[in-house]
Amino acid sequence: MFDKIALLGFGPGGWGLALLQGAANTISVALATLPFGLALGLVIALWKRSDKVVLRAAATIYTTVFRGVPELLTLYIIYFGIQVLLQKVWTGFSIPPFVAGMVALGLVLAAFSSEVWVGALNSIQRGQREAASALGLSKAQAFRLVVFPQLIRVALPGLGNNWMVLLKETSLISVITLQDIMFIATRANVVTKEPFLFFGSAMLLYFFFSLVSAWGIGKLEQRTHRGYAAFGGATR
Amino acid sequence: MRNFVRFIAAAALTVAGATGALAQAKEWKEIRIGTEGAYPPYNNLNAKKELEGFEIDYGNLLCEKMKVKCTWVVQDWDGIIPALQANKYDVIFAGMNATEERRKQVDFTAVYSKTPIWMIGPKSTKSDDISPAALKGKSIGAQGSTIHANYVEKFYKDSTARLYPTQEEANLDLLNGRLDYIVADALALADFLKGQGKDCCRKIAEVKRDDAIHGAGVAGAVRKSDTALRDMISKAIAETMADGSHKKLEDKWFKYE
Repeated sequence: MFDKIALLGFGPGGWGLALLQGAANTISVALATLPFGLALGLVIALWKRSDKVVLRAAATIYTTVFRGVPELLTLYIIYFGIQVLLQKVWTGFSIPPFVAGMVALGLVLAAFSSEVWVGALNSIQRGQREAASALGLSKAQAFRLVVFPQLIRVALPGLGNNWMVLLKETSLISVITLQDIMFIATRANVVTKEPFLFFGSAMLLYFFFSLVSAWGIGKLEQRTHRGYAAFGGATR
Repeated sequence: MRNFVRFIAAAALTVAGATGALAQAKEWKEIRIGTEGAYPPYNNLNAKKELEGFEIDYGNLLCEKMKVKCTWVVQDWDGIIPALQANKYDVIFAGMNATEERRKQVDFTAVYSKTPIWMIGPKSTKSDDISPAALKGKSIGAQGSTIHANYVEKFYKDSTARLYPTQEEANLDLLNGRLDYIVADALALADFLKGQGKDCCRKIAEVKRDDAIHGAGVAGAVRKSDTALRDMISKAIAETMADGSHKKLEDKWFKYE
């Protein structure tokens, strides 16, 4: 039993460092994707509520497509498909795997999170915007100062869910040569024939990230509810 | 509008001209090699995340012969041909058999390895008969998108084909008793039977090669447009066969028993 633990260590023949590097790659792809995906999701959500029929249609088509297409396929399309197409006009063009992974996962995250944003936007009463306008705030100011702080409070639980899903979706990125946790775990298993040890370690790493995320999201929720806590009970 | 169209046409012509010139002048000083890094003893990654295996040594030897600089890219088996076509690397050395089906997509160099194909199963398996009739209703495991998967699907229509992303997962399922047979390269299986599968499993029989499905043997895959590269590598392969350096590497990495 204990000789097997050495395989997870940092000495010669130990996969500890490789696994940690894999974990670092997993988390950096997820963190790089998050702001891009959420921001795009918010834009799509605003389009969905737009007066202009073209924007509404575009947003609906976008979410239908990217919620419907498997993430794996989206990765292939961005990493291989786009490259093959662009090379016809720009030889030597090469999309880096990290960027491809970030864009592909971000597009999917945007599609899913846009629905969360729409729900949150719907929960904010019209009167809030009217009052902001009556106070002389521009549309942009009203969004930034009045709507957004309330929006984030309602959206956060849903977005937290999206983040957890994203974290696990990153396990697909080894198909585009990124060496994430799963990539290292499968390679280590092939060499050492210790599947339980390495897939177990991979599981614990993902589990650790989920625990930290759940704690972080909880803290954020507390903060966005701070105006309500005064009235007794943050989530009541 | 007219001007715009003219501009696009001119731009397209310039690009086409430039790429044409480039393709002609292309001289191979640097070759990027794609491999899987999960198929010992052909190619695998060690704990330091370095590539090792027969194909790694052999690929580097070929590069020495061709006097080119080589870099390695590790790509999962799924997507290993699309990545070649998307110009992520120039040649694949990944234990890939040169099959007719793959020849529709890519070109192959000369064959540099030919391994027997085995069928293995639990030690309790009584008969060594592996004819399709004998295996009716049994489950046969293989790695998906491989010649072995195609072989099972073509000849063993009355058996259940179970296809896995990597050979390792098929081996695990045999170990877990979910499979009755596995078909794969003798090398990969000998490795398994010596280690993990020592107590559970044995070689049942060698599979007779079917050239249409199994192809000529393991070879390097290149894009169809890169005929010069293909010929250059094939020439280097012939050299290593002639001077015995290929045999030396085979003896170093391939041990069946």
